[in-house]
Amino acid sequence: MANERAVKQLFEGLFALTDLRMIFRETAPTHDFSEEQKKRAKEALDRARKAVADLEEEFNL
Amino acid sequence: MRDYVVDNIETRTREELFINMHPIQAAGRLTPEAMKALIAYGDGYSTCDWCRKPFRLDKIPRPPIDEFHAELAKFLGMDQARVVPGARRGFQAVASSIIEKGDSVVLSSLAHYTEFLAVEDANGVVKEIPLNEKNVITADATAQKIEDVKKESGKLPKLIMMDHIDYSFGNEHDVYGIAKIAKEYDIPFLYNGAYTIGVMPVDGRKIGADFLVGSGHKSFASPAPSGIVATKDEWAGKIFRTTQMVGDLTKRRFGIKEVEMLGCTLMGSNLIGMMASFPRIKERIKNWDEEVKKSNYFLGGFLKIEGNKVLSELPRKHTLTKVDTRGSFDKIARTHKRRGFFFSDELKDRGIVGEFPGATRIWKLNTYGLIWDQIRYLVNAFKEIAEKYGLDVSD
Repeated sequence: MANERAVKQLFEGLFALTDLRMIFRETAPTHDFSEEQKKRAKEALDRARKAVADLEEEFNL
Repeated sequence: MRDYVVDNIETRTREELFINMHPIQAAGRLTPEAMKALIAYGDGYSTCDWCRKPFRLDKIPRPPIDEFHAELAKFLGMDQARVVPGARRGFQAVASSIIEKGDSVVLSSLAHYTEFLAVEDANGVVKEIPLNEKNVITADATAQKIEDVKKESGKLPKLIMMDHIDYSFGNEHDVYGIAKIAKEYDIPFLYNGAYTIGVMPVDGRKIGADFLVGSGHKSFASPAPSGIVATKDEWAGKIFRTTQMVGDLTKRRFGIKEVEMLGCTLMGSNLIGMMASFPRIKERIKNWDEEVKKSNYFLGGFLKIEGNKVLSELPRKHTLTKVDTRGSFDKIARTHKRRGFFFSDELKDRGIVGEFPGATRIWKLNTYGLIWDQIRYLVNAFKEIAEKYGLDVSD
């Protein structure tokens, strides 16, 4: 089912951004990321980016 | 820039943009897993996808709501647990099951108002135990109150309810000693863990409690409303009794449904949020000492400001604290054009929220869950504001 893959990617993207949201919370109010937080933020954004790319590909957008 | 979910509902961003030291919000902040649960299980009856016979929430196997209930009871050192919409519904379930008209219920002079309402709802009468000079309830004071009630009414109280940590001072009350007294008088004992269950280890059996009540949204990193009521097998049949009602026309029965729970209790994302947070809860309670250490560190810095006082017991045993700034920031407020709001403005300018807006006299804060960098930032911000307005800050 092609759409099942798309829905999976949709949630993966939302969950990845949720992980980024948590880093915002633990670094508020300055949002000065430590090296470890930068690494986690990058991983989250990479996951989100991949999810969006897969969705675009899925629907030829 | 102000974003909106829709129309006039603002996107809530205070946890992302600020350090939030709100007294009752701190330990209810969601884990990432609970956030994801909200995304996936926000639909109304989302927990009912796999509801099969016997058609009751705590029996649903997918997601494993049944296992969660069993694990929750074990985690709390009790035999059975149910989730409820807030601690108040836990008080209500217990009070409604064992209190009869005119029965006395002994509770703390710092009891939460919902304990009063639960007793009133059951047609009982509250009898408050006085505080000692440190604003703490002792076992001796509890025994004395029981004797007073017995003398006055000729009957023993039907229930003792006690907050381990009260909502006002965040002080610790002698729940172990009080449970022992309850046992001596053979009075059931309800432990109110609204500020403990989910942040520190709580073992009902070790405490000697007959009932444990906790709050999901206060201390279990869960959406509101959510809560827990747990008990021992000997009480489960009473508190979690099933319906005996039969329809006079249709002869319908709903046998498996529990009366006090009104059938199913906490559905959808609130329950799945609790379940999703549970693994982290089991881990985070092991760090309670560190949380208390941070609370004491912050207050150490806070007290370096001339005129600041801490009204809660010291050293702190909890992260919720009542402070008195009448001798410091309130002095500034008296002549400032913004009055007490000057203090809120200054905090907000430094990315801090959660104080009662405009309050510069007696107010509460909670440092739970802040990381060390945020704690140090908080201390510096308070000192900076004090210095700006000419208050002495000692080294």
